[in-house]
Amino acid sequence: MNFSFFVLLSLAGTLLAALVSCISAKGQGHRAVMTLLALSTGLGAIASAVFLLSGQSQLAISQSVWFFSTPFALSTLSALFFFLLNTVACLASVYAIKYVEQYAEIYNVRVLDGLMAIFVLGMQGVLLSSAPFGFLVFWEVMSISSFFLVMADKQAASVRAALFYLIMTHLGAGAILAGFLILSGSSIFEPFTRLAVLAQSLPPQTLFGVFLLFLFGFGSKAGLVPFHVWLPEAHPQAPSHISALMSGVMLKMALYGFLVMTFSVLPIRSSTEALIVIALGLLSAVYGVIYAVIERDVKRVLAFSSIENMGIIFTMIGVAMLVKSQGMDTFAHVAIGAALLFAIAHAFFKSGLFMGAGVMVHAAHSRSLEVMGGFSKRMPVFSGSMLILALAAAALPPFSAFMAEWTFIQNLVANLSQMSPFIQGVLVLVLVTMALVGGLALFAMIKLFGIGFLAEPRSEHAAHAKAPDALIAVPIFALAALTIFVGACAPWILSIIGFADLTSFETWHTNLVVAEATLNPLVLFDVLIALFLVVFVARRLLSNKKHERPYHTWDCGQPITSGMEYTATAFSSPIRFFFRMITRTKKNVIATPVLASNPWIASRIFSLDLRQIWYDVLYVPIQHACLWTSTQVRKLQNGVIQFYIALIFIALVVTLTIAL
Amino acid sequence: MNSILLTLVQFVATLAIAPFVVGLVRLFKARLQGRHGASPFLPYITYATLLKKQMVISKSTSWVFRLVPFVVLASTLFLVCVLPLVVFGGALSHLGHFMIIAGVLALGTAFLVMGGLESASAFGGMGASREMTLASLVEPAMIATFATFAVVTGAFTVDTMFASANILTSPALLPAIAALIMIALAENARYPVDNPATHLELTMVHEAMVLEYSGPYLAMLEYASGLKLTIFSLLVANVLFPMTLAVDATLIAIIMALGWMIIKVVIVSFLLALLESMIAKMRFYRMQEYLTIAFFFALAGLVFALIHITL
Repeated sequence: MNFSFFVLLSLAGTLLAALVSCISAKGQGHRAVMTLLALSTGLGAIASAVFLLSGQSQLAISQSVWFFSTPFALSTLSALFFFLLNTVACLASVYAIKYVEQYAEIYNVRVLDGLMAIFVLGMQGVLLSSAPFGFLVFWEVMSISSFFLVMADKQAASVRAALFYLIMTHLGAGAILAGFLILSGSSIFEPFTRLAVLAQSLPPQTLFGVFLLFLFGFGSKAGLVPFHVWLPEAHPQAPSHISALMSGVMLKMALYGFLVMTFSVLPIRSSTEALIVIALGLLSAVYGVIYAVIERDVKRVLAFSSIENMGIIFTMIGVAMLVKSQGMDTFAHVAIGAALLFAIAHAFFKSGLFMGAGVMVHAAHSRSLEVMGGFSKRMPVFSGSMLILALAAAALPPFSAFMAEWTFIQNLVANLSQMSPFIQGVLVLVLVTMALVGGLALFAMIKLFGIGFLAEPRSEHAAHAKAPDALIAVPIFALAALTIFVGACAPWILSIIGFADLTSFETWHTNLVVAEATLNPLVLFDVLIALFLVVFVARRLLSNKKHERPYHTWDCGQPITSGMEYTATAFSSPIRFFFRMITRTKKNVIATPVLASNPWIASRIFSLDLRQIWYDVLYVPIQHACLWTSTQVRKLQNGVIQFYIALIFIALVVTLTIAL
Repeated sequence: MNSILLTLVQFVATLAIAPFVVGLVRLFKARLQGRHGASPFLPYITYATLLKKQMVISKSTSWVFRLVPFVVLASTLFLVCVLPLVVFGGALSHLGHFMIIAGVLALGTAFLVMGGLESASAFGGMGASREMTLASLVEPAMIATFATFAVVTGAFTVDTMFASANILTSPALLPAIAALIMIALAENARYPVDNPATHLELTMVHEAMVLEYSGPYLAMLEYASGLKLTIFSLLVANVLFPMTLAVDATLIAIIMALGWMIIKVVIVSFLLALLESMIAKMRFYRMQEYLTIAFFFALAGLVFALIHITL
């Protein structure tokens, strides 16, 4: 069967959605556009899923002259990402139908819808293009449309974040373009397969330079530390369904690009490159997770958690590169499988969490966790699905991200003793850092859920929270269900995306098999459920269920108020203390005595200065250097016309000298 | 069939003995401190009484508060099923990968923390924050410890790891066992990490989280923490003396294993009580030092093991 028609139809539908939003009258057509987008992306998701299930490895979509003969094709890898993109985009469009209507007076709905469709189209195009020209065109479509989406609410903070994002993403795109130009010898129309052949004949130093350009280009898009500073600014400012797309899917585009470039195009030569990737990955994971723990803005927590997750994925890829350079192809294969499984898990749970954060922000009228709380009582079903997503994000069994970490760490430990001492050292560092990050990720997610959803509401708005509309809630439920599904059916999914050697099929189920260790996630899931039921039944049998009364929480005889509760700041205070060398937060307590006679009776103002160390250490000096240079250069502009002519002449001579 | 029987024996025996271990530690501690102490069988009566009592549920709480005791107890029961406590080679021991053990422990802790936060009081929040911190710092030490066992023995489940771990032939296990003991103390909220006997708000971690629970729910949580203490006591004893476990389902082997189990819990309880009577509790904000030591013990074991294999 030919799926290429359906993939093209999906692209056309997305384009049509953008067009419809352009021509529709102001304030109308929102539902039509979002429904159209949901249909077209749903079609794309189904087409790519069917392609993956069919077991084919290549599918040519089209190749037309008027797009400079860029071949459009799906491979197993791009089909996987195409599926993730379209599934999340489909659910995000359904979510957007009611979500955007809540904010109709803030956003320009027509423009928002049109840009969202173009954004999705850009990402679809990135995955389908298999030549630098198409790849870069769609990459820019994706970047620029998301730049406008970040500043959709037109607030000063959003505009600032969007401009920052624009600069970073264009530095990255410039690096990718430069990498392509060096590889192909100044033609960007050669397909990737041809680039791979050309790369064989380049000297190692050039290839290393190209690799660094790609690492910067894709790493800055993926939010790797230290190129991440734009991410926690830009992702939270966008509307929540756009945040979900940016965090859940757009980061994966960078991952996809990096995977294609490092494993299909560039020949792997040395372990230096791998060590750089591992170092950046571990740095991102640790830095991201510490800030995810101490941040108090719900969407910033999620943005930092994305940095952490991308750090883990890049660490897995770095390990794969490292062991591949040592000739251990099986190990590398497993590590890539784990990274892809983690990417699938992340696409679903992070999109769900961002969409849920949109509901929380709408209920509390603020992004601060400090004014939330009590949602689990007011929106029980929604909070249940958020609990599942948060536990999945914390990589707890039996959910999706855990299976990826199990695969990776099990494989790492199994192969540890057969390595050279240097590689062993690196792998032990990876192992313990990932364990530390796992512990702290649990902290961050429990803080998010515990402070955001449990106990008494901390503000008037939160106290009057209503359960979200069905159209808003259903995509979140669907993502929570997908998270459970990916966890329970991890072996099946791995076998579909080309990692069948990591699985073994038995009569009624598929096992994960990594280096002789087998795990059947379904059995794990069933055992946990069965034990839960055992406890449930035992409690019914052994004690009287109805024998209870409600009363307020005991608090030393005082009435309980939300002021007694722990806040997100207080909850994360031990971690802030233990990692104060890294975070360098500043705590300010200003005490002003109320009574002159008694200094103990004082009103206190507490503030916490969460500083971004990379911003202070790296970006502010760069900014100062740029400003200083431009001040110096401005001295040339002294109003003497002869001087300007002399400068033009010198510039001409220098240019000609270089060119000839 | 054999393995199912073995698992059943372990399940029933561990569940039956758990309150006795809690009572025994209290008795030994009382004797060491010059008090007469209550009977070691008192916890059985305490739990039975709690099951009959009326529950007081705080008005601030939601469905999560009611879910917590079930998940905490179920996650502990999972550990009873998969770990080698009384027998080797149980029916579910293939699920005992160290990542899963660490994950399920973390799952139970996460829910306990949410139960603490649900009460909306400062005590619950404080205990929750502290427990979460401890759990997130114990995790790397635990993974490193079990990774050492995996590297030394070449096995993946705790069951096979312990069955083939021999400290006489692989001394690299010694630091890992030291780390395991330190982790066991931290996981069970014992000295020097937490004081299980106190209700003084400034020192408590575990007790602060369960403060708002009463009646059957409190019984479930207390029973879960007693089970966890039993599990870790037996684990530490089994790694040193793996020959005391039953490997096949003959009557004699099972009776021997059960006898050994009682001897092991008595000795471990005594040592725990001795330890708790000799040392003081650490200040909470120095806890990262304790856990860093545990972590570096585990790491040292891993490095020694790798050097040992390479040489």
